[in-house]
Amino acid sequence: MPLVYANMQMSEVVEEHTSLIPVINRFGIHLGLGDKSVQEICDKYQLDCDFFLTVINTFLNEEYFPEKKLQTFHTSQIIDYLTKTNQFYLRDQLPNIERHLQLFIKQSLPGNNSLSLIGKFFLSFKEELNDRIQKDQEEWFPYCLSLSEKLKSIQQIKILDKKQINIHIESEDTIEALLADLKSIMIKHLSGDYNENLCYAVIFALNSLEKDIKQHNRIRYRILTPIVRAMEELCS
Amino acid sequence: MLQIKYIAIILPDTLQYVGLQNLLVNYFPPVEISHYPTFEASISSNCDTFDYYITNATLFVLNADFFLPRRNKTIVLLNSLEGEKNNSFPSNHISINSPQETIIEQLKQFFVKENGYTSTDSNNKELTLREIEVLQLIVKGSTNKEIADKLYISLNTVQTHRKNITTKLGIKTVSGLTFYAIMNGIISGEDIEL
Repeated sequence: MPLVYANMQMSEVVEEHTSLIPVINRFGIHLGLGDKSVQEICDKYQLDCDFFLTVINTFLNEEYFPEKKLQTFHTSQIIDYLTKTNQFYLRDQLPNIERHLQLFIKQSLPGNNSLSLIGKFFLSFKEELNDRIQKDQEEWFPYCLSLSEKLKSIQQIKILDKKQINIHIESEDTIEALLADLKSIMIKHLSGDYNENLCYAVIFALNSLEKDIKQHNRIRYRILTPIVRAMEELCS
Repeated sequence: MLQIKYIAIILPDTLQYVGLQNLLVNYFPPVEISHYPTFEASISSNCDTFDYYITNATLFVLNADFFLPRRNKTIVLLNSLEGEKNNSFPSNHISINSPQETIIEQLKQFFVKENGYTSTDSNNKELTLREIEVLQLIVKGSTNKEIADKLYISLNTVQTHRKNITTKLGIKTVSGLTFYAIMNGIISGEDIEL
């Protein structure tokens, strides 16, 4: 997929890729984009255009992930973005799925036990995600920020230059795995009568959450984690 | 899961190669393609590592020693004049003058025949009795070690069973497996906490 550049018209980009709407909302950008270019919009909302574009492009292209470049952004910027994605999951996407799912179960019953089990499975996934977000907000993110505060005097780029960043990709992320299983169970193992339209709505919502979380996890494990490791070594 | 197809394209014609590459990448992923303008170039680079070969009729004939034993893995491009006499050429012959639709269809036939997206009966998705036993223990929360002890099998065997269960069902997490087990009466809901 072609990359998005600063001089492109934002409305055209969004028309082409409507899945970007929640992403730009996260940056505080609202629709009613007019004819403004990406650069102009970023100026208007006081956003770092470079960072914004990198996030958007990695979101759109699964193959595009400029690690070195992402690692040059400030820790607080990255954490800010991850925090906003977390909030989006809590406030919008989880409730969305839940709404559809409840309706799906209600409309498809009576007598289809497999659906209420899917409901239970979703609840356990939700709990897992909630836990992770809570830990992020209360422990991990503040810890990362405090490290970067400590090293404020040293430029982050230099830190990363000095330390060979060791990229350790978490082989298995529980959240992603649960989400994939939930989807695959519905697709492969659903049985009995059910409401097709609502079922699709649930799968669609699960899918968009899955896509977003994959992107979140890439930044989390391949950018933030290595930066934090490098900072830890410098602090110790 | 589809396996990557390693394909050697041995064609002097750049545009033919680029066109083929496009079709393969767009319609038959995942593929990894190597291009050799001459047969000699392909030979010098460890040729037997490829799953498929694509070449033209001239090169095929000139290097029959190589291609004949591999003819089931080789696609030969013909231009229609060569093929006209015989309307029903072998399925691994593709006429370069055919419409794109026909070429895609022919490539599809070729890969289905050769590659065999593993047919369902050779790759049984049903769990074996042993796998069901292992699954029951997994969803009850037993560790691999406990399962091994209980069933008198080695730790390695337990891991193999787990891997097979996951592959067969397409489910990775314990929560997912639990759901599956209840749905299919492998375990009753009262036995475990959800």
